[in-house]
Amino acid sequence: MTDDRQLSQLLRTALPSADIPEPSRDLWPDIVQRAGMRERVSAADLSVAAMVVIALLLFPRWFWFLAYHL
Amino acid sequence: MPDGLDGDLLERFVQGDQAAFESLFRQFEADVYRWIVRIVRDRSAADDVLVEAFWRAYRGRAGFDPTRSFGAWMRRIASNAALDHLRAARTRAGWRTADDRIPSAPPPDRAIVATLALVEEQPYAEIAEALDLPVGTIKSRVFRATRLLRKELARLGITT
Repeated sequence: MTDDRQLSQLLRTALPSADIPEPSRDLWPDIVQRAGMRERVSAADLSVAAMVVIALLLFPRWFWFLAYHL
Repeated sequence: MPDGLDGDLLERFVQGDQAAFESLFRQFEADVYRWIVRIVRDRSAADDVLVEAFWRAYRGRAGFDPTRSFGAWMRRIASNAALDHLRAARTRAGWRTADDRIPSAPPPDRAIVATLALVEEQPYAEIAEALDLPVGTIKSRVFRATRLLRKELARLGITT
């Protein structure tokens, strides 16, 4: 029993307890990529898409202009 | 509900709801990460194992019972992912050297148990739950790992 405690103490001296509370960075994007999921569409992306649709409805002739620039 | 979680959140996770999965990730990330670090003892490897573990959880979500503890289920997945990482690292190291001055490490399944029990001083019951093994198996693995370590130390002229 004493030997076990001594061995345990030796191990703890050689391998100090790993005390790292959290990952070095946000790993959620890596999980999304690994799982093949798509990030949710941001509000900014939705606004741009809505503006393009409205512009095309009001000014259909802008199609080629927008197609060239987007 | 185990873990104090909303049952609806777990149901939505099982159905593949990404927002529910992200919410669970945010709540359990730190706990699972600490568990992985205790096993792999390497920060950058722990990042990779964490990603792998949550990816496996998402892939295997249909097998999760929402009435059970998500934290315990996640720890089991993380332990298996960490074990696979240690096995791969051991295989790579085996290709590099066969120097008999270096003590031979115990196999990863015993090394995990020895590290968690002897270095991290985790309770046998907790280790058993995370590795999905009976407590008796944990005790016998600790015993065998201790015997192997003592033999290796004796070979190096260190007695305990």
